Amino acid sequence: MDLAFTPEEQTFRKEIRTWVKANLPAEISNKVHNAMRLSRDDMQNWAKILGKKGWLGWGWPEQFGGPGWNAIQKHLFEEECALAGAPRVIPFGPVMVAPVIMAFGSAEQQKRFLPGIASGEVWWSQGYSEPGSGSDLASLKTRAERVGDHYVVNGQKTWTTLGQYGEWIFCLVRTSNEGKPQTGISFLLIDMKTPGITVRPIKLLDGECEVNEVWFDNVQVPLENLIGEENKGWNYAKHLLAHERTNIADVNRAKRELERLKRIAKTEGVYDDMRFRDEIAKLEVDIVALEMLVLRVLSAEKSGKNSLDIAGLLKIKGSEIQQRYSELMMLAAGPFSLPFIFEAMDAGWQGDFPGAEVGNAPLAANYFNLRKTTIYGGSNEVQRNIVAQTVLG
Amino acid sequence: MDFDFSDDQTQLGDAVCKWVDKGYTFERRRAITSAGGFDRAAYTELAELGLTGLYVSPDHDGMGMGPVEGMVVMQELGRGIVLEPLGQALIAGAVLQGYAPAALQANWLPRIASGQAVVVLAHQERKSRYNAAHCATVAEQQGGQWSVTGSKSVVPVGDHADGLLVPAMVHGKLALFLIARGSKGLSTRGYGTQDGACAAELVLDQTPAECVTLEGLTALEHALDIGIASVCAEAIGVMDKTLAITVDYMNTRKQFNVNIASFQALRHRVADMKMQLELARSMSYYASLKLNAPASERHQAMARAKYQLGVSMRYVGQQAVQLHGGIGVTDEYIVSHYFKKLTQLEMSFGDTLHHLGQVSHAMQDTAGVFA
Repeated sequence: MDLAFTPEEQTFRKEIRTWVKANLPAEISNKVHNAMRLSRDDMQNWAKILGKKGWLGWGWPEQFGGPGWNAIQKHLFEEECALAGAPRVIPFGPVMVAPVIMAFGSAEQQKRFLPGIASGEVWWSQGYSEPGSGSDLASLKTRAERVGDHYVVNGQKTWTTLGQYGEWIFCLVRTSNEGKPQTGISFLLIDMKTPGITVRPIKLLDGECEVNEVWFDNVQVPLENLIGEENKGWNYAKHLLAHERTNIADVNRAKRELERLKRIAKTEGVYDDMRFRDEIAKLEVDIVALEMLVLRVLSAEKSGKNSLDIAGLLKIKGSEIQQRYSELMMLAAGPFSLPFIFEAMDAGWQGDFPGAEVGNAPLAANYFNLRKTTIYGGSNEVQRNIVAQTVLG
Repeated sequence: MDFDFSDDQTQLGDAVCKWVDKGYTFERRRAITSAGGFDRAAYTELAELGLTGLYVSPDHDGMGMGPVEGMVVMQELGRGIVLEPLGQALIAGAVLQGYAPAALQANWLPRIASGQAVVVLAHQERKSRYNAAHCATVAEQQGGQWSVTGSKSVVPVGDHADGLLVPAMVHGKLALFLIARGSKGLSTRGYGTQDGACAAELVLDQTPAECVTLEGLTALEHALDIGIASVCAEAIGVMDKTLAITVDYMNTRKQFNVNIASFQALRHRVADMKMQLELARSMSYYASLKLNAPASERHQAMARAKYQLGVSMRYVGQQAVQLHGGIGVTDEYIVSHYFKKLTQLEMSFGDTLHHLGQVSHAMQDTAGVFA
């Protein structure tokens, strides 16, 4: 048992740090450090910079052009990126659909789709949730019927994150109503330029259009866009979830945001108010504990020695922490988090209101935005059901 | 970065686990409590396993092991809510070895390791609360002989201990002394504690003492940090077992014709208990792995760990009782004893609010396991 990273791991960290420092545009990291609005270009520019280095698929094995890093190295890479103020990589391509294509796609599909994901050229979206299928995802109704050499897809997806930018979308669709709901689901890759697809952004409580509704009206999808076998899509989606265990905790970002919270608290004069400061201290312990939890999972993954039943806890705790830091940032600014000036969230805005000079404009908006974290990816109540199942049977 | 236990560490844990299961039944524990809360025979059995000398170097007949082994052992003892204060032996072994003159080490350490001498930390005073630096007890030296005058409170097994580690002020500076049982001017008044063990009030009236170190605060803070790491590990064992008992109960107790484990409102409490337990386990690892860090880093880590453990212990204990219903508040059923143990551990070596204050006070701009 050893808390220290090995000398090799420390060297690796230094290399990553040096590279990120040299390659992450300051204009982007400044926005991230101050929670300013990121444009599509900001997000994709960083993705392309990583792609050029071969690191956008930082979790990929070497046979698919990835760096072949182990669990610890991946974690160190993510941490260095987060602390440096890199935007969170939009996960749908490199983190979510790519591992499914690698594990279950044909050689042809791998050749066709992986390069565009690895380079950051192609923007992928995720088509899972539907108006009637939230936490009960397997009840989804969007239908794909086989007609000749293609599927005809009809239905509606929703909460499609940044779907307005999407060029391709991976969807769970119903191909059968036989048996259990889970057994009639297939995994389809769909070109979003196909006729019959309509994307409508949904304005959220923070004023931003982060998610979308996506309609499919007799959309023709070639049969070769089916991943694996028909009606096995649920298994592939579960594989994807198993692939994404520690990342969802987002502890590295939490460490960065804790630093920001302290800066805000100092600027607003509440850092020396013990009642407020103790709340930061509680959050600090929460973050250290979460980091230890993440490191335990990583260590177990690396050694393959112990089986851990704690991965399900990561999403619950990670999301609660995200909500808490955003809440405390807003409370730190107090009344100066209240002005809602949409433009003030753009970097370089030249307006004038109290608090804007120290970047208070996004604080309330971020607090509102992050209420999503305990809802998405399987609500925290569903997560508790899963944890309880492992404990109680 | 590696959180696997070595084979030797696993074997050590298994050996202690076996002793707890076979040698320290709930009935035996109950009998020990009825007889005063400390059993020399049980303590000797721990010594025979080598545990009292865990931190004592082989030169002094100990095992010369480190914090991870200490954690493994304390966890197992926690599972059995063992009353005998092994954590005190760990403190005494490490502190004497780290700070005492050679002669004092040679005199006491082999006896600590063999279990012959029970040595405990007697630092608590009525007015000191959790502040290590606050001490009204004084020491003076005359003709080469030290003597200590003052009083100490809630000293674990205080009226059974063979040696007492006593902080006292020397010219306005904290020093640490060792006082042998039966010394002149030492009187003790023992009582049971909420967890079924025992403690005592000490009065020292010009009691002859050996000086462990004049750098008393450094030594005492180190001692307290060892105590925190031990308590954290012990608490993990207590909580593991508390949760297991609760899960068993929920899967057998029927209401409305079904196992109560089928009710979602209760299941979510269990999920939250599991969360608290695993956060606590993570922080117990953290505490043990930071125990040999430089003092300020070590101290910050212990405060963070004890805060998390305190929150977790209170939650797990209270929920365990609630999920049991009426049987949970009886003396006869085992779970209330686990709850009381957790409560007592929360208030040992600084309670949750105290440690929150420590974390808050020492907060830096950046934070994390790796800041």
